Amino acid sequence: MEEKKKSEPILEMTDIRKEFSGVYALSGITFDLFAGEIHCIVGENGAGKSTLMKVLSGAYSPTGGSIRLFGETYDALTPTLSKALGIHIIYQENDLVPGMNVVENIFVGNEIAGPFGLIRFDEMLARTERQLKELELDLDPTCNVERLSVADQQFVKILKALSTEPKILIMDEPTSMFNVRDAQKVLKLAQMVARRGIGIIYISHFLEEIRQIADRITVIRDGAVVNTYENPGRDIELTKLTCDMVGRPIETFYQKERHEIGEIMLEVRNLKLKKDSPRIDFHVRKGEILGFSGMVGSGRTEIVRALTGADPKFSGEVYIHGREVKISNPRDSIQAGFAHITEDRQRLGLMLGNSVLENTTIVGLKEKIKGFFINVKDHPRLVEGLIKNLRVKTPSIWTDAIFLSGGNQQKVVLAKWLFADQEIYIFDEPTRGIDVNAKAEFYKQMSALTKQGKCIIMISSDMPELISMSDRILVIRDGRITGELQDEQISEQMIIKMALGVK
Amino acid sequence: MGIKKIFRDQRVLLSVVIVAIIGIVSLINPKFIGIKNLITIFQQISVIGILTMGMSLLLISGGIDLSIGNIMALSGVVMARLIADGAGVVTATAAGILVGTACGFLNGLIISKSKCIPLIISLGTSQIFYGLSLTISGGRIMSFRGAFNAIGKTKLFDIFPVMLFFLALMVFAAYILMTRTKFGRRIVAIGGNEKNAFLSGINVDLYKIIIYSIAGFYCALAAVIFSSRIDSITANAGIGYETSALTAAIIGGVTFEGGKGTVPGAFLGCVLMGVISNAMNILKVETYIQTIITGIIIVCAVVLSNINNVKKK
Repeated sequence: MEEKKKSEPILEMTDIRKEFSGVYALSGITFDLFAGEIHCIVGENGAGKSTLMKVLSGAYSPTGGSIRLFGETYDALTPTLSKALGIHIIYQENDLVPGMNVVENIFVGNEIAGPFGLIRFDEMLARTERQLKELELDLDPTCNVERLSVADQQFVKILKALSTEPKILIMDEPTSMFNVRDAQKVLKLAQMVARRGIGIIYISHFLEEIRQIADRITVIRDGAVVNTYENPGRDIELTKLTCDMVGRPIETFYQKERHEIGEIMLEVRNLKLKKDSPRIDFHVRKGEILGFSGMVGSGRTEIVRALTGADPKFSGEVYIHGREVKISNPRDSIQAGFAHITEDRQRLGLMLGNSVLENTTIVGLKEKIKGFFINVKDHPRLVEGLIKNLRVKTPSIWTDAIFLSGGNQQKVVLAKWLFADQEIYIFDEPTRGIDVNAKAEFYKQMSALTKQGKCIIMISSDMPELISMSDRILVIRDGRITGELQDEQISEQMIIKMALGVK
Repeated sequence: MGIKKIFRDQRVLLSVVIVAIIGIVSLINPKFIGIKNLITIFQQISVIGILTMGMSLLLISGGIDLSIGNIMALSGVVMARLIADGAGVVTATAAGILVGTACGFLNGLIISKSKCIPLIISLGTSQIFYGLSLTISGGRIMSFRGAFNAIGKTKLFDIFPVMLFFLALMVFAAYILMTRTKFGRRIVAIGGNEKNAFLSGINVDLYKIIIYSIAGFYCALAAVIFSSRIDSITANAGIGYETSALTAAIIGGVTFEGGKGTVPGAFLGCVLMGVISNAMNILKVETYIQTIITGIIIVCAVVLSNINNVKKK
């Protein structure tokens, strides 16, 4: 580390700013990386980590600041330039081709060809085998990737990245879906790669892992660097990091009206997603907003999906007003009074090619409109009132959902469930990626719902939102409830600690 | 709403094209616009029109059934066989309709429960239905001996064939089903985004089975019209009808992706194809050349109707 310090960094990002329609996602980030160094980035969801990486990959052009790479200075990168300079990102998502084997996947788009453009499989195989041996990996290079474990697929992704001979390797949450043993293998691999002189930017929520491998750690919050720590002894205090990640005043933007919380409305007992999953028990009271907190991938969404019958569950009893209800599919859960505003509005919540009207009425048809036939006159009138009330910006209710902005699309999803008039509302990341005004509308509607005596379960990665809106918060980690916080116990510091499993 | 926007509606565009063709051809040969010829055109598209309704409902729900031609043939062959064996017209018709609906039900059951691609499954079942028709008919032409003359030959006021009422009724029924019933809304929802439909509490599998059964029912009715016009049927009767129905629906603005399209649009697609084919006969275009021209018109119609999508990207 000492000798490296003397040399020039291979990457220097200075005062990088990125603005999206008036909002700064990055407000002046300065960050550097040396050859052979592992530099970790930590921060809450939405702190700006991904945006920063997209600036590096060339997907975004920064609004301001400069990037110095291998002695050259750039205002912005393009994806082609970024690749040519040797920057390679390994994304969380699986980008392997399912029907191909390990070798073919590694060389996809980069195949070694002989005369007449014929692929030289033997040469590719030999290179892969050499690579596997050097990195001490036990993998069959001719195995179809579909048959590999998730961990082994992750190794293939890393090998694929290495085959392009990168100088800077960015790993985005590489261990998020692994068990401890496999995660250790990935960490070891990262260290070996760094020893070859490649600079690694490592993004992770797992602070223990970061402590174990980082040469330096940068904490990002609200699009700015809070601190950069050296970690020569691999012994940084983790509370330092969590403190930095939090520590922001809660805005007055969330207007929650406090009101009476009544008797238990929903009770879930013995919920198990799979045979050996942890057991989950919780309840929600009338007029209450129960927050579900936890890192992305902690199992929050899976719990509510199992609860509403969107996914099968192993066991579990659900009681509404003390009466047991059987839920084995979304139809049952809607019948029982659930509304489920799903996390991915485009994929799961909307018919993009159909009108606002069609989208809004789809669930409520059953109860709201009696009989087999639809009264064409009443049915748009009902929707028009609702759409106006939610201030959905749309030319008309006959406009296709695809032409609406994200915030307005999300309002249409809410309108769908309000139209159906349910009792228990589940909001999964309700305000992700939507503008401030739409957010405010959501908070207003949530307050109105609880005032009417309904109850709400809210999953959110937006800490200030979760803390301000929730009456009570359950913290989830690795698919189990690791803590419950109420009233003055609720603090960002406590939630983060519980969510990360830091004592 | 501007002129441009109105023309973006497939139904308006098709109507204009149809009227234009009728106008031009009538100038060359005034016989074309005669009431007699116009009725002939509708008679010619009566079978394909009913099949297109079935296909459109399937396409809008995100499905497809390439066995509809052979379902029609099988229903017809069953009816002819029963009549040949001395059964009454009503019994035979009821049995034929039952067989058609059952075939659709079978397709729906396999497709919804196995989650396989409907295109391939229906190609497979199509072979089954074709084989059954061959077995039942022994590969021969089966005569109805005038059993369906009441439908096929009766004309109101000496000019208006009764079978056109059937066609109108079936189109109207499909239209009401899609626009005025909850069932129709849910079918659109399944075609628009199946995952969303499931999460919105729609029993996706059940609805799929029902829609395939309805399509099968439409095929059986098409068999009645087909048999009454020709007074006979063979196992080969349905070959090619599935692609014609598909083409008519697509020209009419129904999409492969599902969730889009209207019943009137699909019907106009049929009318366009009928008008073109009739016009070429009147203009004495050679049969082989007719096939080429039909192909060109189909390609042009589909490309034109997709132009807005190309521009979007």
